[in-house]
Amino acid sequence: MGSRKNSRGLSRAVAAAIVVVVILLAVGIYLMRGGGGAAPTETTTPAATPAATETTSPTTTPTTTTPTTTTTTPAATPTETAALKTVVIGTTDKITDLDPANAYDFFTWEVLSNVMAGLVTYDPETGQIVGDLATSWEVQENGKVWIFHLRKDAKFADGTPCTAHDVVRSIERVMKIQGDPSWLVTDFVEKVEALDDYTVKFTLKRPTGYFLAVVATPPYFPVHPNYPDDKIASDATWGGCGPYKIVEWVRDERLVLEPNPYYYGPKPKNDRVVILFYKNAQALRSALEAGDIDVAWRTLNPEDIQALKEKGYNVVEIPGLFIRYIVVKVDAPPTDNKLVRQALAAAIDRNEIAQVVFKGTVEPLYSMVPSKMWSYVPVFKEKYGDGNIELARQLLQQAGYSEDNPLVVELWYTPTHYGDTEAQLAAIIAEQWERTGMIKVIIKSSEWAQYVDQLSSGQFMLSLLGWYPDYLDPDNYLTPFLKSTANSWTGTGYANPQVDQLLEQASVLTDQAQRAELYKQVQEILAEDVPFIPLIQGKLYVVLGPDVKSITVSPLMFLIYSSIEVQG
Amino acid sequence: MGSLARYLALRALLIIPTVLILYTLIFIILRVIPGNPIQAALGTRYVPPEIIQEKMERLGLNKPLHVQYFEYLWNVLHGDFGESLIIEGRSIADDLKYRIPATIELILAGFFISIIIGITTGVVAALRSGSKVDKGLRVYSIVAYTLFIPWLGSLLILLFSVKLGWLPAGGRISGGVELERITGIYTLDALITRNWEAFKDVVKHLILPAFTLGLVLSGAYTRVVRANLADVLNSDFVRAYKARGVRERKVLLYAMRNALIPVVTLMGLQLAILLGGAVLTETTYSWPGLGSYLFEKIENRDYTAIQGTVMVFAFMVGLLSLIVDAIYALIDPRIRY
Repeated sequence: MGSRKNSRGLSRAVAAAIVVVVILLAVGIYLMRGGGGAAPTETTTPAATPAATETTSPTTTPTTTTPTTTTTTPAATPTETAALKTVVIGTTDKITDLDPANAYDFFTWEVLSNVMAGLVTYDPETGQIVGDLATSWEVQENGKVWIFHLRKDAKFADGTPCTAHDVVRSIERVMKIQGDPSWLVTDFVEKVEALDDYTVKFTLKRPTGYFLAVVATPPYFPVHPNYPDDKIASDATWGGCGPYKIVEWVRDERLVLEPNPYYYGPKPKNDRVVILFYKNAQALRSALEAGDIDVAWRTLNPEDIQALKEKGYNVVEIPGLFIRYIVVKVDAPPTDNKLVRQALAAAIDRNEIAQVVFKGTVEPLYSMVPSKMWSYVPVFKEKYGDGNIELARQLLQQAGYSEDNPLVVELWYTPTHYGDTEAQLAAIIAEQWERTGMIKVIIKSSEWAQYVDQLSSGQFMLSLLGWYPDYLDPDNYLTPFLKSTANSWTGTGYANPQVDQLLEQASVLTDQAQRAELYKQVQEILAEDVPFIPLIQGKLYVVLGPDVKSITVSPLMFLIYSSIEVQG
Repeated sequence: MGSLARYLALRALLIIPTVLILYTLIFIILRVIPGNPIQAALGTRYVPPEIIQEKMERLGLNKPLHVQYFEYLWNVLHGDFGESLIIEGRSIADDLKYRIPATIELILAGFFISIIIGITTGVVAALRSGSKVDKGLRVYSIVAYTLFIPWLGSLLILLFSVKLGWLPAGGRISGGVELERITGIYTLDALITRNWEAFKDVVKHLILPAFTLGLVLSGAYTRVVRANLADVLNSDFVRAYKARGVRERKVLLYAMRNALIPVVTLMGLQLAILLGGAVLTETTYSWPGLGSYLFEKIENRDYTAIQGTVMVFAFMVGLLSLIVDAIYALIDPRIRY
């Protein structure tokens, strides 16, 4: 009896030990995967996003403008069919928080853009900012005061009218709650008020030329009166006055949308949108092939995209405004020497990177501003060319280096956050630099959670990084990097009073041509000073199942759900 | 029976130190490994440093470690699992509320499948002891035990979902199917609401993950059942039955009752492995349960979420092994507490 009891005690001890081991192993496996830190693709990352549409670049013309959409509304031309047309979209992304006061990631912003509406939006055809809830707007005091005139037929999904008071309350709520994206409001807006039921007035902290691009972001979307004034409502489904309403939301499992019957715009081409969430690219691809989903959205692996293309799936390519670059520390040797930085920039061969590492799924990038955006100048190509080893050698010689006395640099990368290609990217850059015969590269890595810590504390000499913009404007590609008061997170240590002044000047102007001129100057200084070396800009892919007839993507790279047409 | 109740009460109390030890371990591990949850969440997003500081303060990450340790513990004791560090304002308890039923559904289904496969194969092997079938099943028991869940899962998805199109590739319910959620255990919800369409659909979704988990765990049962049943079949009392002309089927039934007692012990041992396997199964099949949740949260260093999940896991293992102990006491007349 005693021994039986002992053996049971022993087995319990073994059981407890196993639990500990299993949990420790789970943690261990993660850390060993180079990980622990952050998602393999860009799941919980950067803010939303932009990108230009296929052809045109978004040109905001924020003087007094009359938007292209008209006050007198909808020209709904839906084809009435008996069968319910359901579109099932699969993604590896997550909805972090359905409250626009706290949501700050690409996919959640996409969903919010489909269930809510803002004062302005991007025209998917032209890429220009046009009115959405606002029918027109005026700019006063050189861009310090913005007044929006709202349409009168906007309603929430339960029929409650959406007025200027809702807009004001929603924006004040964002300011009060202070969630992650709140700076998009608080950094710009001093005061927001309703002049009457259909007029909203913004008084800004300082004149802001690109304010329309900022107003187009979800923190400015009016939410249903049910949202509490000072509390985040993470799972709230009341929504806004956009084309869809949320009918079902099971966290991390599925989101079901149906058309908002009171929506003022054209009626959606489908009767229901279901979003299903998958753990990884492989599961997403299997789901598409098994016919579980109609649309495979972010993010499939490059090999999956290739394979699905070969199997005859319709693969739609979306030029993304996601950029990759190297951060250069300018306030410590040896990269405090401008000649060294220029040599490093000259030796980079971006075409080789795009082809070898990314199999042609990305494009070379020659400035921090993406190539499809207005004011873009390929400054690095003009100044250094591509893989210009000769020039790099000359610059290194001028800096006092030689084959016998090579420059030794450290290049850092993070192994999982940007996908599996990252180690290869670091290796190819090192190889390109070493082709000069005068550079020795030491490659180092750390997992994401640690990487961002080391980065912002300035511990990296050279490090690989990526960027999704918050709003669609060159300012968001230049100020966070080059302005000395805003770039501490990069750890570059770069500060140039002339650049600071140019950026400040450009941000307050409302004339786009004038702003473009200033941004050009900034980009030229960027190529001269080299605190960052742009590498490539990404593309996004959406793969369609056989039943999908058409799909449109917004200039922000968001799927426009109402545009998805499926066979009934 | 009074002593049994006392014993069970004591066992229940022992769950507390188990959970505490695990909490302490995970708390230390999370703080020792480099990386900061706020930075990890923000990544390359531009957020003014004062907002980061303010956030650290608001979330209590600036407090001394021992204060953080006891505060969290205190809150959990009051039923508050805290807020996510990554998605501010998101209650961990709310997250777990969605996830726990999904995991329970999966592990119960996996558990039953493992027992059915394990006992059947074990009995067949014991009855044909020494034959080719027996040898084959012995190899099976070893192979099944060593199968890597993501690999097996991917294989099954390729075959049954992509190639044959019989079963869905992942998730818990199809896009077009509606189901009223009551318990969060979908098969049960569909039964309660008599929603047969949904029932069919959720069972279809459950088959592959449960089978994957069940198959991997069945190997251990096969071996134990085989060894014990073979022993019992050779024991004196069975021979005595046979000598008295008791029918084969009846003899087997008596023998089984004795041979299955160690299986219950094994169930207790397998529980922890079952939950470990659930982590991998959930990740492979995009099953939104506790396991895949833990996986995600470790990626993001969401301290509170990880701590909360680990504690729930530990509690579940404790509770389930308590149940196994109770069953053990009930079915084995020799056990007295």
